[in-house]
Amino acid sequence: MNRALYVAKTGLEAQQFRLAAISNNLANANTYGYKTGRAEFDDLLYQNVRQPGAQASQDEVNTLPSGLQLGTGVKAIGVQKIHTQGNLMITDNQLDLAVEGKGFFQVLDQDGNLMYTRDGSFQVNQNGDVVTSSGYLLEPNINIPQDATEVSISRDGVVSVSQPGVIEQNQVGQIELASFINPAGLENLGHNFFAETTASGVPNINNPQTAEAGAIQQGALEASNVNTVEELIGMIEAQRTYEMNSKAISAADGMMQYLNNNT
Amino acid sequence: MDRMLYIAMSGAKEVMLSQANNANNLANANTDGFKKDFNVFRAQHVEGPGWESRAYSMDERPATDFSAGAIKVTGRELDVVTKEDGYIGIQAPDGSEAFVRTASMQVLENGDLVDVKGNPVLNESGTPINIPPTKSITIGDDGTISIVPADSPSNQLVILDRLRLAKPAAGDLEKGLDGYARLKEGAPEALQENVVVVSGALESSNVNTAEALVNMIELSRKYELQIKMMATTKSHAQKSDSLLSIR
Repeated sequence: MNRALYVAKTGLEAQQFRLAAISNNLANANTYGYKTGRAEFDDLLYQNVRQPGAQASQDEVNTLPSGLQLGTGVKAIGVQKIHTQGNLMITDNQLDLAVEGKGFFQVLDQDGNLMYTRDGSFQVNQNGDVVTSSGYLLEPNINIPQDATEVSISRDGVVSVSQPGVIEQNQVGQIELASFINPAGLENLGHNFFAETTASGVPNINNPQTAEAGAIQQGALEASNVNTVEELIGMIEAQRTYEMNSKAISAADGMMQYLNNNT
Repeated sequence: MDRMLYIAMSGAKEVMLSQANNANNLANANTDGFKKDFNVFRAQHVEGPGWESRAYSMDERPATDFSAGAIKVTGRELDVVTKEDGYIGIQAPDGSEAFVRTASMQVLENGDLVDVKGNPVLNESGTPINIPPTKSITIGDDGTISIVPADSPSNQLVILDRLRLAKPAAGDLEKGLDGYARLKEGAPEALQENVVVVSGALESSNVNTAEALVNMIELSRKYELQIKMMATTKSHAQKSDSLLSIR
């Protein structure tokens, strides 16, 4: 059968995959703490149709100087998360925290497993515990007293509260940040959460502003690092490449059609 | 029967193969760092007794076009691209050294610096690079990797290693069946050179899509010509049959 058809098919698939990755980025352009994903491609194996150096004729002097190696197309090898810093958006909300650096907040899921997030829009639940906007507990747990009038969180993660009748600020907790040697290897759990994998390595847990954790900014959120212009350009590129590959399919089809109709 | 039909068949068959190669270039129009393959045809004379009046066609991939693709800025510190005719050395899956113009590098959990396909990136002495826990990694113009170690203040940069950079002549490189560019057999060893590296950018594929499309049309038309030749052969055969028919 015609190889060109199959090769062009891989091209179509790759562009479709790229468009899916781009649309996911665009859909999350306003998601706090979202990290953009970049579709990565790899050329497939080459087939040796004719070996270079083979005999061109019985005469031994005549060998083929070059053979024919045909590529078999393209393959999407994954979506690489790009962990660059997103812009900080000042919200002035006391429990909105942004990380300036490599660290992730640690959050406990319903089964007590650790999850990691850059989305620092925290709130307080009915018990006074600091939770994410989806209700998961921050780890280590921080409890804000019922009568606290003001919560302040320093750049190094110390949480202190003001209470009526108490002059000094009361320290109620210390935020810790986890960092990974290969954040691109984290598994995406959705809902802005990541999970540790063998590829990401074990988390290094540190107080903010120590080691590679980064500092905490109170009253701000980290916007998604999606560059919408770049994504739109990627979208155009994907669409055009898709069109060109479909042209290759129709060209291959046309060749076979012509053969069938004219012999 | 006249062998002309076979000549036309060889033409059509080889054009079809060439079309597959062109489709491969097109399919990789968005693969970062991809280098397009050339295709040429040549006449292959049939030798032996009798007149050498027949030449079959033969499609070949004589070389790969290693010219530069467009640079796209990504801003990611571990995306690197070399300027001009420099190459970065990586270790291909079979353990040999391969050359790339661009690499989207990652640091693995054990600190190994690899490209996006997981191939170790090599240093000056040709061994894989390992990066200890860091606050940040910077890649300099000459391929020097400097880091801020995780346990030191941000202003303490440590020079860690240097990328393997070389300038092999374009004619000394060939693309293997696994798609990696390597030195040809017998080519002089590529030495470490001062090649300018830009970090925060990737090189896109060097496929010229307009050219590939035109090439595609050309191949399609040439294919049709071969089919026409087949049809001509058919009518010749019919004519001679009718001449000889007894009625």
